[in-house]
Amino acid sequence: MRRRSSLPVTFLVPTLAILLVLSMVPTLYAIVIALQNRELSAPGYSWVWLSNFADLFADRRFLNAVWVSVKWEIVTVVATMAVAIGLGVLMFEVSGSRLRNFYCLLFIIPVLLPRVSAAFVWKFAYHPLYGIATYPYRLVTGGLIFDPLSKAGTALFAVASVDVWQWGLFFAVIVLKLLETLPPQPIEAARLDHAKRWQIHAYVTLPMLKAPLISLMFVKMIESLRSFDLIYVMTRGGPGVATETLDMYAFSQGFIESGKVSYASAMAVLMMIATVITFTMLWKRVQA
Amino acid sequence: MKPYRLRPGRLIAKALLALAGFLAVFPLVWTTLNALKNNVDIITRVPKVVFTPTLANISYILGRDSVLTGLYNSVVACGSAVLIGIVLGLPAAYAVARYPNRFAGDIQFFVLSLRFLPPVAVAIPLMVIWLQVGLYDTLPALIVTYSLLTNSVIMWLAIPAFQGVPKEIEEAAFVDGYGAYSVFWRIALPVAARSLIGAIAFSFVLVWNEFLIALMLSSSNAKTLPIVASELSQQGMNVPWGILNASVVLLSLPPLLFLGVLSSFLNSVFRQKKS
Repeated sequence: MRRRSSLPVTFLVPTLAILLVLSMVPTLYAIVIALQNRELSAPGYSWVWLSNFADLFADRRFLNAVWVSVKWEIVTVVATMAVAIGLGVLMFEVSGSRLRNFYCLLFIIPVLLPRVSAAFVWKFAYHPLYGIATYPYRLVTGGLIFDPLSKAGTALFAVASVDVWQWGLFFAVIVLKLLETLPPQPIEAARLDHAKRWQIHAYVTLPMLKAPLISLMFVKMIESLRSFDLIYVMTRGGPGVATETLDMYAFSQGFIESGKVSYASAMAVLMMIATVITFTMLWKRVQA
Repeated sequence: MKPYRLRPGRLIAKALLALAGFLAVFPLVWTTLNALKNNVDIITRVPKVVFTPTLANISYILGRDSVLTGLYNSVVACGSAVLIGIVLGLPAAYAVARYPNRFAGDIQFFVLSLRFLPPVAVAIPLMVIWLQVGLYDTLPALIVTYSLLTNSVIMWLAIPAFQGVPKEIEEAAFVDGYGAYSVFWRIALPVAARSLIGAIAFSFVLVWNEFLIALMLSSSNAKTLPIVASELSQQGMNVPWGILNASVVLLSLPPLLFLGVLSSFLNSVFRQKKS
């Protein structure tokens, strides 16, 4: 009798229509703007078709931003998964249920913080003179200065550490919950075969969790695209262009430096095409 | 079991975990302490643990118009967007969960794919659109934009929540003569309520923490709290560190209020998987 109800139509159609309009209008408009030469300061514009895209590929700062984004994506995803699996397994191995709950609560805290807060907390902690995170270095070296955020070689990793602080700890909780859902028999069997603890995880439990772990990595890849807040607060893309990711560069082209909205939009369109294609392919593969 | 107990590896593992737990909260504790310090106690080469606390930073923050406006804007924009997300997202999620059709998979993928869109790619055209319509830098523009976020996230998380409601209860209600709509209102919603609250809390935290879109869609009137806080941190070399720390604490409090709700939501998601 529920099949004949009007409920699915009345519940689904308005929502999907609104979602479609709200998402397609900006998406299509982004493409339109990218084909024009709009600037924030000037009201007029004309159609320039693909010349913004041609300019982009000749722009060395854009190519740098692509490279920085790729580095950011790899560093944060790999480090997050490593921290998550490491801490998740450790909690599973050595903590009783009470301690587990306690750690889970602690590990969720960083990811709840606004990125702006997290960025600021660590920006001050990394302060070369007064920061709490650089204090051990000052103590050991007798007052030498270490400024991770203003060195080209370390800035990206310093910002990435904040991202891993937020997501790695949170994912550790999820890895623990996933381990807890596993049936105990295969682990017991491996134990009877005198497998070492790390072997049990490397060859039994983690392979059993392959599918959810890949989904988890997929989520992290999507979230890593949202690096803007951290970088904006901590380094503004600096020193030089060492931490200038694509969204940071698009923002500074469109708003801070020149107000070239169309140029920025062309960049955003390229990002959109790249991410939609990559993630659609990955998603279909994960589902299959 | 027993031979493992005495191993040094176990001790090291425990120490590592304790260290991670410490790292998870200490930066935040330190920020809170700094919010209670005078500037002289913050700018020290050796971090000061003992100091005379002051409430000057906090009262300064709470007395600033820009901060209060930001707080108001954040509450109104996020609250309205979450409400819209609930009204539109929950029924749609229920329809997908309980009335499967051949588009169900595509609908779920579409809702998830909204999350792939780079925020810049949404924010730039929206800024131009809102400028043309004359709604740039207003709360309605921000609310409409955020409701896209809340709506898709609530829908995505509510589908499994509704699927977790035992079908038998709903069937029994149908047999008792309930219509499809009253089954949704009187049965599905209350039974799934706990997980739904988790989903809603999650969407609130997501938009409360949102930065890039708010930055691009506001210039003065509609600035949300994250924007105001980030501006405080860009005040050159004479940074009022204590004030800054206080503003970070204020900004971080609302999401942390949901810690309990969200962690029990997480537990319920995995308990469902296990059974």
